[in-house]
Amino acid sequence: MCLNKLITAALINILFASALFAESRIAPILNSIDEIYKIKTDARADVMLTQQKPEQGTKVIKMIYYRRDSDDSFLIVMSEPENEKGNGYLRVGDNFWMYRKNTRTFQHINRDENIGGSDARSDDFETRKLSELYGPALGPDGKEIFSQEMLGQVPVNRFEVKALVNDVDYPKKIYWARRDNNLILKEESYSLSGTLMQTAYFLKYSIIDGRYLAVKHLYIDEFEKGNKTVVDISNVSTAKLENSIFTKAYLENLSK
Amino acid sequence: MKLLITLSLRNLFRQKRRNILLGIAIALGVTILVLANSFSQGISDIMFNKIMRWVTGQVTVRFNEKGRMNREIFRDKERVMALIKNTPGVLEADEGAGMFCRAIGNGKSDNIIIVGVNTSLEITEETKKELEDSFRLIEGGWKDLENPAINNPVIVSEEKARFLNVKKGDVIRVRFRNMFGQDQAARLTVSGIMKNDNIFMQPVVFLELRNAKLIFGYKPYETASLTLKVKDAVKNSAAIADSIHAKLKPGVAVIHALTARGDKSSVADVLGYRSDEESKKKLSALLKIKSGSVEAALKKDGVVIFNTLAGALKVKAGDEIKIGFARKFEETPAEKYLKVSAVAADNPELKGNVILVNDEKFYDIYYENLPKPAPEAFIPDKDGSWAGLVSPEWILLERTANTEEAKKKYIALGKKKWKGTTIDVSTMYETASDIMKLEGVLKLITLSAVMVLFFIILLGVVNTLRMTIRERTREIGTIRAIGMQKNDVRHIFILETFFLTLFASIAGIAAAYISMWLLSQITFKMSDNPMGMLLVNGHLYFLPTFTGIAGNVALIILIAVVTAYFPSRRAANLSPAKALGHFE
Repeated sequence: MCLNKLITAALINILFASALFAESRIAPILNSIDEIYKIKTDARADVMLTQQKPEQGTKVIKMIYYRRDSDDSFLIVMSEPENEKGNGYLRVGDNFWMYRKNTRTFQHINRDENIGGSDARSDDFETRKLSELYGPALGPDGKEIFSQEMLGQVPVNRFEVKALVNDVDYPKKIYWARRDNNLILKEESYSLSGTLMQTAYFLKYSIIDGRYLAVKHLYIDEFEKGNKTVVDISNVSTAKLENSIFTKAYLENLSK
Repeated sequence: MKLLITLSLRNLFRQKRRNILLGIAIALGVTILVLANSFSQGISDIMFNKIMRWVTGQVTVRFNEKGRMNREIFRDKERVMALIKNTPGVLEADEGAGMFCRAIGNGKSDNIIIVGVNTSLEITEETKKELEDSFRLIEGGWKDLENPAINNPVIVSEEKARFLNVKKGDVIRVRFRNMFGQDQAARLTVSGIMKNDNIFMQPVVFLELRNAKLIFGYKPYETASLTLKVKDAVKNSAAIADSIHAKLKPGVAVIHALTARGDKSSVADVLGYRSDEESKKKLSALLKIKSGSVEAALKKDGVVIFNTLAGALKVKAGDEIKIGFARKFEETPAEKYLKVSAVAADNPELKGNVILVNDEKFYDIYYENLPKPAPEAFIPDKDGSWAGLVSPEWILLERTANTEEAKKKYIALGKKKWKGTTIDVSTMYETASDIMKLEGVLKLITLSAVMVLFFIILLGVVNTLRMTIRERTREIGTIRAIGMQKNDVRHIFILETFFLTLFASIAGIAAAYISMWLLSQITFKMSDNPMGMLLVNGHLYFLPTFTGIAGNVALIILIAVVTAYFPSRRAANLSPAKALGHFE
């Protein structure tokens, strides 16, 4: 009896969810974003983070980023600041190591670890689909929170999404995406309690192998006012990378 | 014997000045030894009973989902709590919940640790006193933490309040990443200020447990860890931890679900399969794939269903099925979609309709939607081929005896990439065995120093005895001539040394107690100094123990007696005739 009720409830819910998904205006945008952003090749890029904190001044962090498409492995080698130079992070499959040049040692770390003293974490470098992490958020009226407005001079779709999984930085986000090609121009990130924590602006895009890549981002810390980070991505290459790059030996040699 | 004691005591008082001086030297050594041992014992007591006791509990049960250190969560608190509470020797059991945060006060920011405190928990008077001694409130009260009219009332240390520039009634904003790594922000209202001399406890901010769990993102039935207070912790904690560990043996994790595809549906049991390399090899041999491939079946998101169920649902590899099941703590059932990676031939050991899911994916579904227990669910035979291949409810880590072993265990934990929740049972004496080592080292250093001192003192003892024997040679001759035996003469001298050392030790202990009392009257202002953790309420803390003092005194008496034995034997061996003829 209990199982029958369960079956009925499950089927009703599934049907309802399917109907909702079919009418969603947000879901196709999320899928589109995944499609236009997804780099389907190996990649190499120089990444520069400029962090400004009122109490600590400006800190520049530079790194080289290598990514292998076949298994989502990546390698990060720090080149600035001086005290981080030569340190690196290597992720292959489930294994994630941090390399310390001074001690010439590799240490197993988890994906929550901060990279090179920045606020960036290992999972920020993972390529997980937006549509798998977030789904449309519903307002009190049961409808998706979606509107069309202008961001400066650009017509955009503004929509709210909520996390579908636990292991994301922010449980709620609001996006402003261009109406013509769904490129994200602005993103607001909210904490579990609904506090605005961060606003991101995607200032410049490049087209790499027919895919869009935001090469300049600005992150404004809304919680600790005055903190902001600018991310610059340059020298992007999508040429095939040697497998030997994604090894401990390579990282060790590179750091010498 | 009574006569020998009387004679030795009388002789002891015959040379008062010499013996008093020697006694003072011995007493001084005893004083130093007792003082130093009581101090190192005090350090241990502070570390274990005034810090570790509050931080980890005397016995701790830790949970780490997916083997991740930051992901401290267990989804069925009451189940473990019920097992623990019935364990003999457990006095109190409570949840532990804490989070490192960035706090912003009035124009100032700093790091703090929010600790959930259960103010509604019934605690013994002893615990209450310990709590009040360790965290002395100078403003507000513990009950203020329960005030529903205040938004997240907290008790902050005096030093942290000063640093953040906040006072009672002010708001502190905090941000942190919770156990899932999600950013969270909250507003805390200062409702009390406490004083704590331990610099390591100054970042601690107490928040009512329910409020803490709410802002951390725990549901009421979830917990981060469990901390226990046990009867006679030093003696019993390891045995109690062993007993709890034995009770926490996991069963097989299973989801009894309704599966559906299109208009076809069937009841099935979803089991996780272990995805380590060894298990994958065994699975490859056991699975006879009919549709799809073994490689796809063993991938991260691998889902294998067996022929009969596949026929009933009319699915093949690549198709999607829905599963729905009742949840233990939520009223609404859970629904999930699984993409079938492979269809395998029915296996005689897997009865009913079984769906195998890679443990990485399986645990995501299982923990997020803890299923209602279903006695009718199929569990593989524990002696069969599948017993070691299906995922357990959790992974129970081996018990470890000391800090070194615990470190190795956690390093291995990082490498193993467990997909399920690990449970670790430990005592504070095991996780912080280095503190006990430190105490042992301190005691050894003290003992070595005091032994050097005693070596010098014992030279005095030997010298005194030699002088005494020389002075009393004619007396020895007389008492030997009137019939006293050699052994008795020897015993008189040994007893003299014994009583001298005993009286001096008693005086030394008294002097040590007086010194401890005097030293503990001095107030040190060390709230910003790590050495402040060695103080209790700004005062030095000594913990003399009967066994420690008795052991020290016994050791000193033994050494003195052994030292006295040889001159005494020489005195006893004197010929009565020669002794009587001795003339100076």
